Amino acid sequence: MLQKKICMVGMFGTGKTCLVQRYVHSLFSVKYLTTVGVKIDRREVQANGQPVMLMLWDLEGRDDTRDINTSYLKGAHGVLYVVDGTRHDTFDKMFEIRDLVTRTIGEVPSVVALNKSDLTDQWQLKPADDRRLADKRCSSLLTSAKSGAGVEAAFQQLADAIVAPTGAQR
Amino acid sequence: MLDEQPRSASDFATLRELLLGPERQQLDELADRVDAAAITPETLADQLPEAIALRANRDQQLGRALAPTVETALRESIRKNPRDIATAIFPVLGPAIRKAIAETMAGLVRSINSAVEHSLSVQGIKWRIEAWRTGERYADVVIKHALVYRVEQVFLIHAETGLLLAHVTAPGLDVPDADLISGMLTAIQDFVLDSFRPGEGGTLSTFTVGEHTVHVEAGPRALIAGVVRGQCPEAVPQRLQRTLEQIHLEYASALAEFEGDPVPFGSTGPLLEENLETVLSTDRAAERRPLLWLRWALPLAAIVLVVLGLVAASSRRWGRAVRSMEAEPGFVVIDASRSWGRWHFRGLKDPNARDPRTVLAAAGLTPPAIAGEWKPYLSLDSAMIVARARRMLGVPASMTTTLAADTLRVAGNASLAWLGALRAAPAVPGVSRVDLSAVRANLPPGIDALRRRIERGRVLFAPGSFRVTEAGLTEIRGLATAMRQLSDSAAAIGASLRIDLVGRTDPTGTDATNQSLAELRVDAVMARLAAAGVPHAVLEGRPLATAQPLKADDAVEQASINRSVSFEVVVTKGSLGPRGP
Repeated sequence: MLQKKICMVGMFGTGKTCLVQRYVHSLFSVKYLTTVGVKIDRREVQANGQPVMLMLWDLEGRDDTRDINTSYLKGAHGVLYVVDGTRHDTFDKMFEIRDLVTRTIGEVPSVVALNKSDLTDQWQLKPADDRRLADKRCSSLLTSAKSGAGVEAAFQQLADAIVAPTGAQR
Repeated sequence: MLDEQPRSASDFATLRELLLGPERQQLDELADRVDAAAITPETLADQLPEAIALRANRDQQLGRALAPTVETALRESIRKNPRDIATAIFPVLGPAIRKAIAETMAGLVRSINSAVEHSLSVQGIKWRIEAWRTGERYADVVIKHALVYRVEQVFLIHAETGLLLAHVTAPGLDVPDADLISGMLTAIQDFVLDSFRPGEGGTLSTFTVGEHTVHVEAGPRALIAGVVRGQCPEAVPQRLQRTLEQIHLEYASALAEFEGDPVPFGSTGPLLEENLETVLSTDRAAERRPLLWLRWALPLAAIVLVVLGLVAASSRRWGRAVRSMEAEPGFVVIDASRSWGRWHFRGLKDPNARDPRTVLAAAGLTPPAIAGEWKPYLSLDSAMIVARARRMLGVPASMTTTLAADTLRVAGNASLAWLGALRAAPAVPGVSRVDLSAVRANLPPGIDALRRRIERGRVLFAPGSFRVTEAGLTEIRGLATAMRQLSDSAAAIGASLRIDLVGRTDPTGTDATNQSLAELRVDAVMARLAAAGVPHAVLEGRPLATAQPLKADDAVEQASINRSVSFEVVVTKGSLGPRGP
């Protein structure tokens, strides 16, 4: 089966791990994140009519972009950026992280997950922020680790972007 | 016209040159090139090898194009003349077949060794029980205990992405998450490199977890990781490295173009499987055989020693038993034997001998059971004679008996009745004389008081004299009265009486003089006693002179008391037999 390496990055506390926990097959415990700095999970999806195994590299969230271990990004076929919609700083930081990723591995398909969408009363993202995403040609969607909303779609969107319909892969 | 002719020709040439010059030059060049490129068999023969090499280096098109033709040609050739092909590939095929057979045989021998060694040994039985108890396969239990090392899994991992290219496992092992492990192995590699920055070419090559060791060999495009259980020899990482190099060589383009599709690497399976290997300690049985032998021999030797010890102890006990029985008075052992739980004796036994069990118990032996076959006999062993005499004479327990040659000496206090009965006692075999001198009769109180009074009495004499002094006369008168009374009392109870007059002297003077002096002193006292009415028959003189002197604290006193006649009273029932010395 086709395999693809997906990196999940985002600031500390954006809920990356929670986001995927219910949707993946895990072998390693969460403590790998704090020890090794990465935890690898597995998720099978159908993308453009063929099964694809997504190997999800959940990178430990850091508050400082410089602390992100870029070694783990090597060879990634796609990136899932995770933003905490109730903390605007995580949104701003996402662009910094995105620059770092692009510098390290080049342009790869990516999806921005605007997480914690269930906390509408604390939501800090404005329509201006949507425009900013559109300007940067970032595809984004709302997700909630709590309700599970948008999670499947995020994986699906990313897998579809990575695996070309003709079978000619990126 | 003549001039015109050539002029017009040259003009035409010039014109042609002017009009078509560049094109003509191109045509000439083309013509040259066509000439140069013309492929003749000769030029082809020159250039073909180089061309093939060039193209083969560039891509695999040539090979793909030629493959059907070559296959057809080969088939045709084999069909026409198989012998030539067989001859040609024989040098390659021979060793390959030999190697395959050797490996199969080695495996067979190993499994036979292992089966023989473990099926019949205690360990083997233990392992079978463990397999039965835990529900594991017997082979797995053997591997668990006898394993030296086993390469259980080999991962081929894409270096950049950490994606799993291929994975092989030892038979019976199921690793469902090989892809996750593969990713994490790469992550850990990165983590270690970032953490320690070992410099150019450094990698995490080995790490150990419990009984597992993971060897990672890194190549430019792929990693190979072998998971080894047990003591991993140096050869394992070396072989992994060779496999990785070969894969880099054979799959160079597939590795370079890898975009997540592991299908092209499916064919690396056999290469990776070459690394899977199980080595059991039974494969090195020859080295361990002395130890195995020892493991059997030591307990066996201990058992043999214990058994020998028990046999020796039993034999010693038996020897001691036979010796005790042979030494015991009253037994003549003719035959002694033993069987399980029973000791047999055959021989002669004196009726007075002790019970054999008592004899053995006295020697500290507790026999299992004794079967005795004894014929009665009379033992002349002194202890038996004494025992027999005591029984036949009815000697009371309070009295002692000793045997010297054939004389039985009896000592102690005896009743007058017993002394009287002794007269009528039968002759005891082995005893010719009974010495009763040390026997004191238990007398009635009156008689005994008189006896003590008489035996306290002593008639003293002056040195060298046998004349009875005044004091002596007074003493004799008192003694005579007592003796008369004693004589009457003894006669009244039917007992016989004897009074010994013991005459002594001091040590001065010759023996002959002293002997006659003692006799004279005895005679003097005896005459006075008889004159005073003591029956002469009861009196008996014993002139000892200096033979058995009376003892005193100082020499003067001793000399004084030994110049005397003293008295010993013997009262007995009936008439007294022969006296002892």
